[in-house]
Amino acid sequence: MDAVTLYHWEPNANSGKPMLALMEKGVPFSSHYIDMLQFDQHKPEYLAINPQGTIPAMTHNADGQRRVLTESTAIMEYVNDRFDGPDLMPADAQDRWRVRWWMKFMDQWLGPSFSMIGWSVFVGPMVRQRDPAELAAAIDRIPLPERRVAWRKAINGDFSESEMAESRRRVGLGIAKLEEELGKRPYVGSNQYSLADINIFNSTYSLPLSQPDLAGKDKTPNIMRWLKRVYMRDAVKKTWAMGKTDLANRYGLIMAEIEA
Amino acid sequence: MSAVLYHGEPNGASLTVLAALAQSGLDIECRSIDLLAGERHALPDIADPIALDLCIEGEGPVLVIGGEAMTESVFLAQYFDEAADGAGLQPADAYARWEMMMWCRQITERLSPAAALLGNLATSQHAIAAIPADGFATLSARIVSDDLRQRWQALNDDVVDAAQVADSETKVTAAVERCEKQLSDGRDWLMGVFSIADLVTYSWLAGMQILRPDAFAAAPRTTAWLARTADQPCVTAALGRSTVSEPLRAWAPGPEINRWG
Repeated sequence: MDAVTLYHWEPNANSGKPMLALMEKGVPFSSHYIDMLQFDQHKPEYLAINPQGTIPAMTHNADGQRRVLTESTAIMEYVNDRFDGPDLMPADAQDRWRVRWWMKFMDQWLGPSFSMIGWSVFVGPMVRQRDPAELAAAIDRIPLPERRVAWRKAINGDFSESEMAESRRRVGLGIAKLEEELGKRPYVGSNQYSLADINIFNSTYSLPLSQPDLAGKDKTPNIMRWLKRVYMRDAVKKTWAMGKTDLANRYGLIMAEIEA
Repeated sequence: MSAVLYHGEPNGASLTVLAALAQSGLDIECRSIDLLAGERHALPDIADPIALDLCIEGEGPVLVIGGEAMTESVFLAQYFDEAADGAGLQPADAYARWEMMMWCRQITERLSPAAALLGNLATSQHAIAAIPADGFATLSARIVSDDLRQRWQALNDDVVDAAQVADSETKVTAAVERCEKQLSDGRDWLMGVFSIADLVTYSWLAGMQILRPDAFAAAPRTTAWLARTADQPCVTAALGRSTVSEPLRAWAPGPEINRWG
């Protein structure tokens, strides 16, 4: 049996974080694609792995045990700590603090706003075309009550105007702060490529396409320079080649623009 | 490089960080500030304020090193542990560290907003609502984060959202149940060995023993663990920095309640 199995959706947002971290470390893993738009993550086979029904999840067979790990940022930290390969955390304690700070800022403040916008324009419309009874049954199978609420809102297009306005405010502010940060140093939080770059790249790799009014060559030159630096990495190219939906196509469009 | 830790009364986020500092043995100057007077938003000599301006946990402590404002109690505790080359606050094994970080995230995402809401309603809302209008306008104008300013405003307006109170009470009970289950194998500490998980959980839960004693009625192991944690020298040292008689009743606007999923 493979030592590491990763259960993931697209190389995008949370799923892309452990995919790219494993790829950067050179850790071989068995890839198990969970089609979020088909609600694979709430099916019994997957709930047997992660009863919370959230993706990604990773299993690691080691020391005679099979460990199940969840939460994308925490999985990345485990991958970096546990396996050989390039260190994806800086050595200096203050740099390490900054890397963690930026990851929390993305995971808990900015990310949910990106996600709300992404779900309202992408995930919601994709699944909304299905049979309503099938969708209702799919939602009823979601283990976490707060995820049930989130899915219902996405499918019904129920995000209120004030919720969306707040998400847009946060995205605008978050992009401005990231631009400022990348004017101070070449990578997020430190002078080396780290877990913070992997984390934030996964939610910002298509910014020039998804938020053209806020990000691009003229408006956010520091972000564009950083995106280019990260896009050029072999591990990033290999990871995005694993994508199956239109999201991976957006990667190709940006890459073409960067290389032009 | 100069380092100063600005902190509130030892409860919530400030308690975690003061205890972690004591455990680390690092010699860092501590300055007590009045969080309810808005002093956290008027700190001197800050050249790099982003982590202060956009701090997620609300009115937590601020460590200033070389002009950079550093925030978020769990990460400051890790910083002290690592800057001291290992003060015994993080397990050595990678999987045990993953477990600790997962636990801390559960506490900071679910328990701490709930505890802060109940704590503020019980002990600080009256004081914040009593701030005269011009004084409050000056104070709130200094708060950079729009969402944190709204949490202050709700307290100033004396708003009580019954649904949020009920949800917060449920989350406190759930946290106690989680601790009780974790301690059910007879272990002394949440992660087996004493760690940041004990500090963070104690910091947000100990004050709830006073405000929501019923939540602990069927939780003897959690009650005993709280007492054991309070007796740890680093926690005693942190509580000893209090300027009030009951620091576990001192609350200030905390983290926001999860806005989506």
